[in-house]
Amino acid sequence: MRRRLTRLGMGLAAVAAAATTLTACGTGGGTTGNGTGPITFASGKDLTGAMPQLLAEWNKLHPDQKVTFIELSASPDDQRNSFVQDLQARSGKYDVMWDDVVWTSEFAAHGWLEPLDKAQVGGPGVLPAAVDTATYQGKMYGAPFMTNSALLYYRSDLVPKPPTTWAELQSDCAIAKAHDMACYVGQFAQYEGLTVNAAEAITSAGGSFLSPDGSKVTVDSPQARAGLQHLVDMFRSGNIPAAALTYQEQESANAFVSGKAMFLANWPYVYTAASAAGSAVQGKFGVAQLPGPSGPGVASLGGIDLGVSAFSQHKQTAKDFVAWMQSESSQRVLVKVMNQASVLTKLYTDPDLTKASPYLPTLQKAELTAVPRPKTPNYNAVSLAIQKNVYAALQGKVSVDAAVKQLAADLQQAISAA
Amino acid sequence: MSVRTGDSRALVPRASTRRERASGRKDHDGRFAFWLVVPAILVLTVVIGYPVIAALVRSLFSDSIASAPRFVGLDNYFSALWGVNSGKFWDSVGVTYFFAAVTIVLETAIGLGMALVMNQAFRGRGLLRGVVLVPWAVPTAVAAVLWKWSFDPVGIINALTGSHVVWTGSDWPSKAAIVIADTWKTSPFIALLILAGLQIIPGEVHEAAKIDGAGAFQRFRLITLPLVRPALLVAILFRLLDALRMYDLPAILTHGANDTTTLSILVVQATLSELKPGFGGALSTLTFLLIFVTAYAFVRLLGVNAVEAQIGGGRGGNR
Repeated sequence: MRRRLTRLGMGLAAVAAAATTLTACGTGGGTTGNGTGPITFASGKDLTGAMPQLLAEWNKLHPDQKVTFIELSASPDDQRNSFVQDLQARSGKYDVMWDDVVWTSEFAAHGWLEPLDKAQVGGPGVLPAAVDTATYQGKMYGAPFMTNSALLYYRSDLVPKPPTTWAELQSDCAIAKAHDMACYVGQFAQYEGLTVNAAEAITSAGGSFLSPDGSKVTVDSPQARAGLQHLVDMFRSGNIPAAALTYQEQESANAFVSGKAMFLANWPYVYTAASAAGSAVQGKFGVAQLPGPSGPGVASLGGIDLGVSAFSQHKQTAKDFVAWMQSESSQRVLVKVMNQASVLTKLYTDPDLTKASPYLPTLQKAELTAVPRPKTPNYNAVSLAIQKNVYAALQGKVSVDAAVKQLAADLQQAISAA
Repeated sequence: MSVRTGDSRALVPRASTRRERASGRKDHDGRFAFWLVVPAILVLTVVIGYPVIAALVRSLFSDSIASAPRFVGLDNYFSALWGVNSGKFWDSVGVTYFFAAVTIVLETAIGLGMALVMNQAFRGRGLLRGVVLVPWAVPTAVAAVLWKWSFDPVGIINALTGSHVVWTGSDWPSKAAIVIADTWKTSPFIALLILAGLQIIPGEVHEAAKIDGAGAFQRFRLITLPLVRPALLVAILFRLLDALRMYDLPAILTHGANDTTTLSILVVQATLSELKPGFGGALSTLTFLLIFVTAYAFVRLLGVNAVEAQIGGGRGGNR
C-alpha cells in the first residue's frame, strides 16, 4: 500500500512538474523590462536572403545586445497568425515584429505594441505616407522600414506612351486586342489583393471607404461608385480577362512576364522578374504610375513597419534596433541588396541606386500621393467586407449600386464590432 | 460430520484463498492498469478537454478590442443564429450540407463500383487495389493544390476539354471543382471500407443464388447489397462526419469565395482573421452541435452500429 502511494506520489509530482513547466512557458515574458539585452526579430520569409547579412552588421556593433533572426512563413496571413498567437499569450517571444502596414492599428489597439518616439522613427526624412501607416491615435507604433506601392507595368514596344487616364487605358486596349493578348491584369481574386486594387480604383476617383480616423463609413458616394464602375466596365468589355478573377500577385505577374498581358498593376518586385533573362518582355516594358479618371491615379500603400512587442524583455534594445534598421546605411542595403523600396525620401534620387533600380523615381511619385488602406483596428473584417462585395460586382452578380450599398452596411457592422 | 466439516473446512479455505488470491491479483492488475492509463487520460484532458471547454467558455464572452472581454451570455450564439451574422452563418450551413450531400452520393456510388471491381478475382488485382488508393494517400492540402493548378484558367482541364471556363471565378464552376476534387480524393476511402464488407460475404451464398437462377442484378440487389449494408453505412457515416467539417479544399481552391464558405472556413475566418474568439467559439460549438445532431439522426434512422460493424465484420450491423 505504501509503495503504491509512493508511486502515486511520484506520478503526481511528475505531472505537477510538467504543469509548472507548461505554465512557465506560457508566462515566460510576463514581467516586461525596459532594459537592454539580446532580442529576437521575426520577419516574413526572407526571399532576398540578405537579412542575415544586415543583422550581422548590428550584431558586430552590439555584441551584448545580439539580435536573433526568426523567419516566419512567406504568407502574410500566416505571419499575422504567428504574431497574434504570441501576443495573445503575452509571451514576448518576438521582441521586434515585421508588421504589414495594415496590422499596425489592430495590434496597437489591442495594446500589443510599444509606442515609439516619433522624433526617432518618424522624422522629416521619412516618407509621410509611411509614417502615417505606423500612426494610431496620434502615436507611432512602428518604425517604417520598407514601403511599397503599385506601379503600372506596360509594354513599351506596343504602347509608346503609357496611359495616364482610364479613357486612355481603354483606348489602348484596342492594341492589345490586335495582338491577341489581355489588356489589363491586376489582383482580382477574393483576397487582400482585391482590397488593394479596389481601393486604388475608388480612391483614384476621389472616393474612400472610411473616414480618416476609421470611425465613419464613407463609401456610399458617387465617387466610390465611379471607381468601382471603372473596374466593372473593364471586366464587362473583356479588357480585364475573366481569368483575372482568380489572379493573385503571382498569377498576374506571370501573365505579364510571359507576354500574355499588355498592362499589369503590381508591386515593384515584378520589375526584377520582368527584366530577368527568360522573361518574354525583357527590355520591352516600362513602368508608370497607375492611371486615374483624369490624370495619374492613387496607389494603395503597402510596406512593413517594425513594431516593438509590449511584452518584450529588452525594449530599449528593441527600440534602438528598429531605429537602426531605418538608418541610411541599413536602408541602402534594403534598396541595393534586397531590391525593396526604402522609406527614406532621399534614397529615391540617389544616382547610385536609381542605376540599379530605374523604377525608383516613378515609385516615389506614386508614393507621394499613395493612400493607406482603411486604418482601423477591425481592418480584417473591413477588408473581408470589401473583398466580398467588390468581387460580387466584378462578377456581375450584383449592380455597382447594390454592391456599394451592401458594402456600406457591411463596413458599418465591421467597424462597430469594437 | 466432523470429518465432513473438517473436509469442507479443509476445502473451502483453500478454494477461497485461491479465489481471493486470484481476485486480489485481478484487483491489483486492474488498479495497476488504471494507473498506467492515468497519464494518457491526463494528456487527453489537457489537449482535448481543455481547448473544447475553453472555447465553450470563451464563446460566452464578448470580442472587445481594447478592453477585457465581458460576459455576454448567449449573445454570440444569437448573433449567429438570428442576429447580424445570421446571413453568413446560414449561408455556410447551406454550403456545407450541399457539399456533404453531393459528395457523399457521388463517392458512395463510385466507391461501391470500385469495391465491386476490386472484389473480383483477376490478374493484377493487387496492383489495382494499390493504385486506387493513391488519391486517398495524398494529403488533402496537396491534392487541393494539384487541383488548383488543374482548374487554372490556362490549366490542364481547360486545355484537355477545349473549354474556357474560369473554374474558380464563379459560383457553380467553383462548387463543381470542389466536388470533383473531393470525390477524386475520397471515393477510394469508401471503396476500401466497402471492400472489407464485401470480402466477408461467403461465396456459397452467391453460388446458391446462381443455382436458383438469380441474375447478376438480382444477386447484387438481394444478396450483395443487404450483406454489405452495415459496412456501407459505416463508411457513409465516416464520410458524413468528415464532409461536414470540410475545410482544406475550398480554403485552397477558392479561399471561400464564390459561395463556397463552409462552416469550418467561417470558424477560422472569425477566430483567426477577424480575431473574434468569442464569436468563433460560438460558431465552432454550433458546428459541433450540427454535426452531432446530423450523425445522431443518421445512426438512429438507419441503425448503424459503428463499433460492432467494425469488430464483428458487419454481422451485427442490422439493429
